[in-house]
This record gives sequence, structure tokens and C-alpha cells, in this order.
Amino acid sequence: MNLERVSNEEKLGLCRKYYLGGFAFLPFLWLVNVVWFFQEAFIKPAYTEQLQIKAYVKWSGLGLAIWVAVLTTWITIYQHYRAQWGEVGDYLSFTIPLGIP
Amino acid sequence: MDLISTKWIIHLLLCGLFYGVSCNSVEQKIYINLNDTVPCVRLLNATHQIGCQSSLGGDVGVIHFLESEQNLEYVLTTGNNPPYMVILESHLFNRDVMMKLKNGSSRIAGVAVIKPNSNPVGAFSPHTTCPNENTGVYSESYDPALAHCNGTMWNPNGNGLSYEEFSFPIFSLKDDNGTEVIRQCYMDHNRAVNGSVPVYPLCAMELSSHMSAVTDTVTCMRRSDTSGLSLNPEQVCDPLGNYNVWGATKGLNNSASGHSENETVVIAAARLDSRAFFHGISLGADSGTSGFITLLAAAGALANVTREAPPPRTILYAFFQGESFDYIGSSRMVYDMQGDKFPIDLDNIHSLVEIGQVGLHASEGLWVHTDPVSRRNASIETEVKNLTDIFRSVATSLNISLGEPDVSQPLPPASFQRFLRAQPIPGVVLTDHRTSFTNSFFESMYDNAEYLNLTFPAGLTPEEQFNYVTDTAKGLAKVATLAARTLYRQAGGAEERLAGINADELTVAHMLYGFLIQTKNPWFEAIVSPEDLPALRAFPPEHYVGVNFNSNSSTKLVSYVFINLTGTAVNVSRENCSSSGKFEDAADSTDMNSYTWVRGVTPPNATEPAGYCVRSTTRLARAESPAFLLGEFNSSTYSTWSESRWKKINARIFLVAGHDLEMLTLGVGLAVLLVSLLITFFVNAKADFLFSSGREPANATY
Repeated sequence: MNLERVSNEEKLGLCRKYYLGGFAFLPFLWLVNVVWFFQEAFIKPAYTEQLQIKAYVKWSGLGLAIWVAVLTTWITIYQHYRAQWGEVGDYLSFTIPLGIP
Repeated sequence: MDLISTKWIIHLLLCGLFYGVSCNSVEQKIYINLNDTVPCVRLLNATHQIGCQSSLGGDVGVIHFLESEQNLEYVLTTGNNPPYMVILESHLFNRDVMMKLKNGSSRIAGVAVIKPNSNPVGAFSPHTTCPNENTGVYSESYDPALAHCNGTMWNPNGNGLSYEEFSFPIFSLKDDNGTEVIRQCYMDHNRAVNGSVPVYPLCAMELSSHMSAVTDTVTCMRRSDTSGLSLNPEQVCDPLGNYNVWGATKGLNNSASGHSENETVVIAAARLDSRAFFHGISLGADSGTSGFITLLAAAGALANVTREAPPPRTILYAFFQGESFDYIGSSRMVYDMQGDKFPIDLDNIHSLVEIGQVGLHASEGLWVHTDPVSRRNASIETEVKNLTDIFRSVATSLNISLGEPDVSQPLPPASFQRFLRAQPIPGVVLTDHRTSFTNSFFESMYDNAEYLNLTFPAGLTPEEQFNYVTDTAKGLAKVATLAARTLYRQAGGAEERLAGINADELTVAHMLYGFLIQTKNPWFEAIVSPEDLPALRAFPPEHYVGVNFNSNSSTKLVSYVFINLTGTAVNVSRENCSSSGKFEDAADSTDMNSYTWVRGVTPPNATEPAGYCVRSTTRLARAESPAFLLGEFNSSTYSTWSESRWKKINARIFLVAGHDLEMLTLGVGLAVLLVSLLITFFVNAKADFLFSSGREPANATY
């Protein structure tokens, strides 16, 4: 969809949908929201709905950052300690690599 | 267009058509696959992993033939082209060299050991000095003075190499044409002449033996368990095990289990399996094979007399599988007897006679070992004394040198130890060593036919070799006669019958040939069932216990030989000649007997043998460690050995280009890519000018 051809109300609706959708443990929606509406929110000349879009993009960005932080921390811990956890580590794993501890 | 290029174009076209099916000619031009290789693989127990593994895609290194131990310096520090694939002549395959390579493993891609065509002088045993140290009867609680081989170091030559863990692949190569190709490749490309640095391209070798299992049996069995979260559960290891072969002089009701009233049994035991650093070349000529061949011959010698004049006690022959790995077979049989899952239980056992290593008795004589701890009990002492007296008197009558070691000396590693662990039973172990093993190649690849002096006069055809009775065969037949007569007396048989019990020398010669030289021989072809005929090959069977319960050639062959030597041919149809056969008489039923259809010999005027049915008491009993049955993968009582699975085992050699040349090729490739992108971009940008000048502008209708 080309945002150039969409009315400002529709843009706001889309941005809200993506923002709300992200709460369903879908941080990628927030990522898309931030990338897609960044120009609309911060670069385009001001228009009525822009303030609201800006808020959604900011909150999406914040949510995304928290997700990234949490996931990075967890993945680092998991990759580092999986072998030491032994049994627990194996039960936590969906795929267990062959031939390494 | 000349012929060769036409051929190439046709070939490329075909390649294009059948891509992925048969197009590997480029691969064939680059690589030479090595066929006669045997890998070292990974085994695991409750706490450790041992053996070798390569990285996932295989390890590649520049070939270096190690000429002497001093030459290690080159591989480990000074050589310019690490990592190296070290090729070892067998005399350098020892603990010193291997541990140095292991510790310098960042410069070592792998090791290939050339198996010599004749045995080395001296001793070599990759096993431990105290085999099955922790699973025998001599624990701290049984007798602290005898635990951990405190009494006698059984295998003083043991260097423990088989129990080391290597992070690189190790393969064994047969010394033949393939090895010659590698040597030639090394001489042509890699050898530094007069201190000069070898120049690329260099001869390299790739060894792939990536193992799926890791850490220990507990871990690998857990990961093989499919009930976890895992999305693609995959079996990564299998418990070692196979089948024990057993049979008796009298049918024991196989459908009944637990204590059998009015039954006393003398167990005659031997070990079926052996191991070596490379499992594929584990013959165990003295360590395992000499014992079970002797027991088979003894069973054959007793077959007639026990039918004509059955002794009051039943003799139960048991061939235990997997004993090299913490007594898998015997611990399972004892476990089954204790749990009433065997036709008899431990209280039915009168005594036990085990034939250990007896192949080298010619040099050291025979020795009957007993357990000093259980002999402290007066009634056991009397029984043991009786048994050794029988042995001694029979040996004297046969003119065999037989002695008793010091009374305080413990038993050597033997299946009997697992029975003693359960309860005191009188028994002896017959071996060819007084204290430590006479066998200086214990559980190694050199414990082979040559070590037993199984050599034939020059100029014999294979047929004549097969029928040639060597001195080894004569000697073992004598030991078998000793064992048979002793067993008959021990079972309560009459003394005047003893002179008629004689093991057949030719049968022993046939067995030695079949188990140590090649399984494809006229006798084995006649005694196996027709479907097992393809399993007979022109080389000896591997005596490593393995993980495949469906096929282990040495177990099957031992059972066929046992059936042939102890069974009787009966007139039963082929359909009925199986475990599901129907028989009117209860004494003929499949509960009391086992029926086997065998090929027989081809009559002179026919092309196919007719086949016939043999009735015997032979049974196969599962020899899987109780640890796996109970799910106790960290058991310290039972064997926990398991073998890792793998996907690909492969060895090949090829020429590698230098690093600079590789980088240059990559650079040129990238440059060509960039240039072509640029050209495309400019052509696209000037497309109007380049392509439409000569024509009328097209009318855009869309």
C-alpha cells in the first residue's frame, strides 16, 4: 500500500491498528509501524492527525525497544548457559544441536 | 568440432538434464575416496564420552606422514601449513604420540593410522590396566584389599587409549593400494626436501565422522526421548547390546520362568565379544574368540555322551555378549534370573565354569582362577576344591600343564564376577595366564589370527587351508577336551565315560578359520539358514558388540555353530521348523526345544542344497544392560555404555590450492560480478538510445 495515496484519516487508522496489534506479543508489528510511519510522523509537514500518529509511532518504538532488550538478554543467557543447565536446558529447547553439549 | 569437445558438450547436456541424479564427474575429478577405512566412533557411559569425532562437515588438513616421534615437532609447532592430517605408521600409534597430538589439537585436523599387514613386536593394548574395574565383584564393600585391581594388575600393557576422548577424527587405513596413492600424493606434493618449504598445491585429506551424541549416556538418552518440547526429536545414541547365546544338555522349559524345582545346573560360560580402538577391526583372537571356540568344541564333544548317559545335573552353556563393556550380557542374565525372567534362577545353579583367554596356553600353561572371598565360606570352599581337583586330575590324564594361582589372588575380569555379585556360587575361571594377562595385545587390533600362530604352510588353496589342522587348533581341542571332561564330571557324570569325550580337532580348525580368517567357508555355508548366507564374507566377523540387535554376525554364527554341534537333525517340514512350529508330543514342543532350518551341503548332482531342520536347545537371550531397562542411565551397578549415531562417515584425499590463490579466485569472481552489474546498469540507463534508434518508437497503448 502506498501511503501517498491514502487519506490522513486512513493513515491514522492503520497506524492505530498496528500499534494495538503489537500488544498481542507481536513486536514485529511495532517494528513495521515505526519504519512505515516514521516519515509521516516526523518528517512530513504538520497535519491534524500527525500528532496522534507521532504518539503511536513513539510508543511502538518504545515497546519494540523493550522487546529487543528482553529477547537479547534472554537469548544471550540461554545460549551461554544451555549446556550447563543440562536437563532443564534440553527441556527448554525446541531444537537441540547435534554433537555439541 | 573435435571429438573430445563433442563428448564434453553431450556430457554437460546430460548433466543438465539429470542434475542431482548422476552428475558427479567434477567431484570425481577432484576427490579420491578412500574405501578401506575404519573410523573411531564415540561411545558414552554414565559420566564420560570417549572416542573421536570430526566437525559437522568433516575436517580437512594437509597430509603429513609422521616418520618418527621427533618429527612431531614439525606438525605441532614448525610446519607452515596447519592444520595437519597426520598419517601414522602403526609403530607410532601409541599413547605418547596420540596424547601429544591430542594436546596440540588446534594444529591437528585428524589422524589416520595405517594398519600393518603383520603384527608388531612388543606389546600394545589400548584397553585399561584394570578391565571392567568398577562393575566386577571386587568393590570396596566386597573386599577393600582386592578392589580396583589392588591384588593383581591384569593388563599391565594397557595404555587406556580406547578410553580417551579425541576432538578430531581418527581413521584406520588398510595398508594396500589406497594407502599407496596417499603416500604417492604426499611424496609428490607435500614433502619438504632439504628443508625447503613445500609449495601449493598440497595434498590434503578430509575425514568426516561427525557424532550426534555428546557428554554422556544420561544426556544422549534424554535427547533421544521424544516426549520433550523438541520439534524434531532425533535418536542420537543407542545402548550397546545384542544377544547372549545359551543352550543346555537338556531342554529347559522356555515358557516357564523363575525357580525350577529339582533342577541343578552347572553353567559353562565364555565371552563372545571383544573390542579394539577401531571397532571394525576387533577380532579378539585370544581375548574372546579362543574362549568361546573352546567352549563350543567342548559342547560338541559332550553332545553325544549327554544324550546317551545324561549326567544328573544339567550343563548350561552360556556365551555372553558385550562383556568388554562392563559385563552387559552376564549382568543381564543375572538380572533376569533374579527377576524370574529366565527358565532357572540363581538357586538352581550348582557351580560355574568359565573359559577365559586360553589361546596362548602353549607358552604359559593353563590356570584355574577362583574367588578368595567366597572361598572363606566352608561349603563353597569344599565345592571349589572338588571342582579344581576334577580339573587337575583330568589335566593330568590329558598331559596338560595346569596350575592354581596363589589362593589370595582375585578372579581375573570374568562374567563369573557378575554371578558372585549376586550370591556366592562355587566356580572357576580357566585361563592361559597365572597373574597378569599373557596376551600382550589385549583388546587391540593385533589380537588376531597371526597372534595365535594360525598360519598355514605355503602353497595351500583356501580349501586346503580351511581343512588344515594347525597346532593352535590341536592345542585348543585339547583344552576343549579338558573342559568337556571336567564339565561332565562336575555335572555328576560317570568317570568311565570320560575317555570317550574328545573334542574334534578338525572342528576346532574350522571354527578358527571361520571366526578369525573368513566366514565364507564350506562349513559355515552348510550350517547357516538360507537367509543368512549373504552375511558370510571373505573376511572375519567383527567381534564388537555393536548396537544393532537385528544383526550381529558373530552372535548368529556362534549360535549356528552351537546348533550344529549340539543339535540333532529331525524330519520336520520347513514351515514347522521355527519358533511357532506345532508339535503333538509335549517333549518336542517349541517350549522345550528350538528348531532351526539350515542349508546343508549341496549334493553332488544338484545345484542347491535341500536344507533340513535341526532340533537343539539353543536360545538367544537379549543382552541389553538392565540400566536401560530400568531407565537408570547413570547406574553404577550396570553397564551404561551407548554408541553415538552418525550421519556420514567418509574419507577422501584431494589437492588444495594455497590461500593466496583461493583469495585471488574469489577476488576475480567478485570483480566480474561488479563489472557486470555496472554494465547492466549503464545499458539499462541508455536503453532508449541503444535499442530504439533504428526503429519507430513503439506506441504505448497501456
